[in-house]
Amino acid sequence: MRLLSQLLQNKKAMVGVVILVLIILVAIFAPVLSQYSPTQRVGRPHQPPSLEHWLGTTRLGHDVFTRLVYGARVSLAVGFGAGLMIALIGTVLGIIAGYKGGVVDEVINFFTNLVLVIPNLPLLLVLAAFIGQASPPVIAVILGLTSWAWGVRVTRSETLSIRQRDYVKSAEMLGEPGWRIMTFEIFPNLISIVGINFIGSVIFAVISEATLEFLGLGDPNTVSWGIMLYNAQNASALSVGAWWDLLSPCFALALLGLGLALINFAIDEVANPRLRTGGMLGRWTRMVRAGEGKL
Amino acid sequence: MAFLLRRLVFYLAAFIAAATINFFLPRLMPGDPIQIMFAGAGSNLSMENLNALKLTFGFIDAPMGQQYLAYLQSVFTGDLGRSIKYFPLPVTELLARALVWTVGLVGSATIVSFILGTLLGVMAAWRRGTRFDAVVSLLAILSSSVPAVVISLTMLFVFGYRLGWFPNGYAADPMLDPAFSWPYIASVLHHGALPMLTLVFVLTGGFAVTMRNNMINLLGEDYIVMGRAKGLSENRVMLWYAARNALLPTVSSLAISIGTILSGSLVTEVVFNYPGLGNTLYQAILARDYPVIQGQLLIMTAAMLASNFVVDLSYVLLDPRLKKA
Amino acid sequence: MSVLSVRNLSIDYVGSETVFHAVRDVSFDIAPGEFFGLAGESGCGKSTIAFAISRLHRPPALIRSGSRILVDGRDVLELDEAELRSFRWREVAMVFQSAMNSLNPVLTIEDQFHDVLNTHTGMSRSAARQRASELLGLVDIPADRLNAYPHQLSGGMRQRIVIAICLALNPKLLIMDEATTALDVVVQREILQRIHQLRQKLGFSVLFITHDLALMVQMSDRIGIMLEGELVEIGTAQAIYHAPQHDYTRKLWASLPRLTGEQIAEGAGQ
Repeated sequence: MRLLSQLLQNKKAMVGVVILVLIILVAIFAPVLSQYSPTQRVGRPHQPPSLEHWLGTTRLGHDVFTRLVYGARVSLAVGFGAGLMIALIGTVLGIIAGYKGGVVDEVINFFTNLVLVIPNLPLLLVLAAFIGQASPPVIAVILGLTSWAWGVRVTRSETLSIRQRDYVKSAEMLGEPGWRIMTFEIFPNLISIVGINFIGSVIFAVISEATLEFLGLGDPNTVSWGIMLYNAQNASALSVGAWWDLLSPCFALALLGLGLALINFAIDEVANPRLRTGGMLGRWTRMVRAGEGKL
Repeated sequence: MAFLLRRLVFYLAAFIAAATINFFLPRLMPGDPIQIMFAGAGSNLSMENLNALKLTFGFIDAPMGQQYLAYLQSVFTGDLGRSIKYFPLPVTELLARALVWTVGLVGSATIVSFILGTLLGVMAAWRRGTRFDAVVSLLAILSSSVPAVVISLTMLFVFGYRLGWFPNGYAADPMLDPAFSWPYIASVLHHGALPMLTLVFVLTGGFAVTMRNNMINLLGEDYIVMGRAKGLSENRVMLWYAARNALLPTVSSLAISIGTILSGSLVTEVVFNYPGLGNTLYQAILARDYPVIQGQLLIMTAAMLASNFVVDLSYVLLDPRLKKA
Repeated sequence: MSVLSVRNLSIDYVGSETVFHAVRDVSFDIAPGEFFGLAGESGCGKSTIAFAISRLHRPPALIRSGSRILVDGRDVLELDEAELRSFRWREVAMVFQSAMNSLNPVLTIEDQFHDVLNTHTGMSRSAARQRASELLGLVDIPADRLNAYPHQLSGGMRQRIVIAICLALNPKLLIMDEATTALDVVVQREILQRIHQLRQKLGFSVLFITHDLALMVQMSDRIGIMLEGELVEIGTAQAIYHAPQHDYTRKLWASLPRLTGEQIAEGAGQ
């Protein structure tokens, strides 16, 4: 696909993909990267980084580096799992609303706006408070079921503009059933929007999971970056000077977020070339400098 | 006008939706809803106080429909019950105090970020393709993809602990009495500086990217070229022809991002122990103080709706095409 | 002296790998008060030339050195920033294709007169309003329209307002870039008649760009024909009409639909 090859040429996309692949590999090869277990006491509490413990230890004597690499699994799983659900629901509802129009559109629109206008994190918190301690799969499901609204909006507006195009109208006249048109005529033209929506949802899910766990609503026995933040905060890591305990998961989350965001930005640039930053005017600038012409 | 009225009706519906969620949550969870809601009460509350509380939340001896109406009635008469942890403090009072702090912090941070982000976006779009644009875009990506919790903790670490420039929490020095005195106000500003800076960092990126993209999307329009052809200064064309028009979709996306703003501020408040709505919600969750939790959802939703309405108003004022006589 | 004198104008669009030569070594003159038509198919470079006269291009467009654009003897390409801004609209004004989009949607009509008048002459609000009313009068638009926003006016009115704004500083040259193409035929005729009257009154020259050769012959004193960036033929309107020299010009004439009712099949080979 042309989109893919253009993406591969985009510097931002490449950096983002490299970061993402790196994190995925770290997650997969966690047992190889560290000989410790993430849940066992393997050192003295709050030891600073050393050759034995690359990122030091937590208050309970766990190896921070080990927890970091194992934690990657949960963060990635919840991120992509919930992200997929969010994007799926959002895309499907958006296409249906945009294509069908009429009452179906009104109803979907109404509920979407409703969900959009109720603040997301407070709602999640209230839900989680009633549920008690939410394990990562539960968090993923809750996120998936409550966060699809923005995707619907974006997908719907794109669908509305595609709907008027000739190939859609001719398919209708040929008598193609609605679901076929939506799947095979409309959807392929939404790929870049869906891609951006998906990655945006993943970013959102990663951030939300970490935040919920940080606030104490996750299952404290999980090994994830959010729980690491929670533990560090409870251990007053900053006040006692054990910065590695807190900053390691911070850095990991920041890196993952950055990687995903770069990919997203790149997709946007490729789909909408006007948005590109930097680099295309090199030759032009050189010619102007050499006095070959002017504006 | 019709536009604004429709929006108001919608907001009313949304508010009722939030109340409905509040109503059904305890009833949908496994177990006895009354047990769940008032478990935190324990032996603190006398029978009659407990009964009054039950009444407020619609736990009456009647079919579900009537219970629902009873609850709605409480909500619309301003009775959100009393906090279990801080009994007999009414929830409304507790939240009102917190609201003031949040509005101060979040309000000022949002205004600053919006102005800063929009200006950066305008300049980046105007200087599209230059290094300025590349740098701004990259910083914007960073700001909007790193979780608010991470930014808050890092800021706290660097500026609070390591450099010691700012205090590590609270709205003001706990030793001082709240008053309109200079020492107190100075303390408030000093304590508020770091959370506000954090929020500004969290929010600016998003505004910058939105404005930049909106500007770029209209840079090819004929009226922009005509503006330049008229011999007007670059600044005038950039601001009054380009930015002024790009402001419209930017303001409408502001409405959508209010949710994100509230979420980001919630986390920031918790990290900095700032006594705003977010932190109050957090503390209530820790204490399982359900009346406060539920009241919180309503107040936050109301805040969302109010901000959305303000944005709607601004949109009508900014776009001459909506200003029907 | 010619109002406009274009000499060896070459304009390229510079890509990362290739360079597209949009305008190749074009030279022509426009005399004071003359109506000059520039005809050709889309993409032949006529609009590119129009934009270059006021130096409105953005990267990756590049006006090659060696080109000269003289307005009243002054080389526009040698002007610095400030001189260029002062030059724009004072000497050369431009009407674009769709007036729907030429007016800023968020400013009133009065504002759009005021900003150009104030920038160039330092006119106050009230003086500008006065002048704007006069100008609107030239195009038969009532002065109360000054407080309106563009979306509140019809397409024809907007086009006339743009023309009025163009004449605000009494330019020597008015460039009309496909200015009537998007309008229906009747409105088009009205506008062109009006331009003719205004020309007689105020004495400006017109560079009229279109792909509609028939229209152009009716309006122009002289015509230039462009093909793929080159000016292939230039002459009086009558000469171009009766005795086209270049192959392409002849082809253009031949491809015009006739009003005589012949079937295409019958007329082939003529």
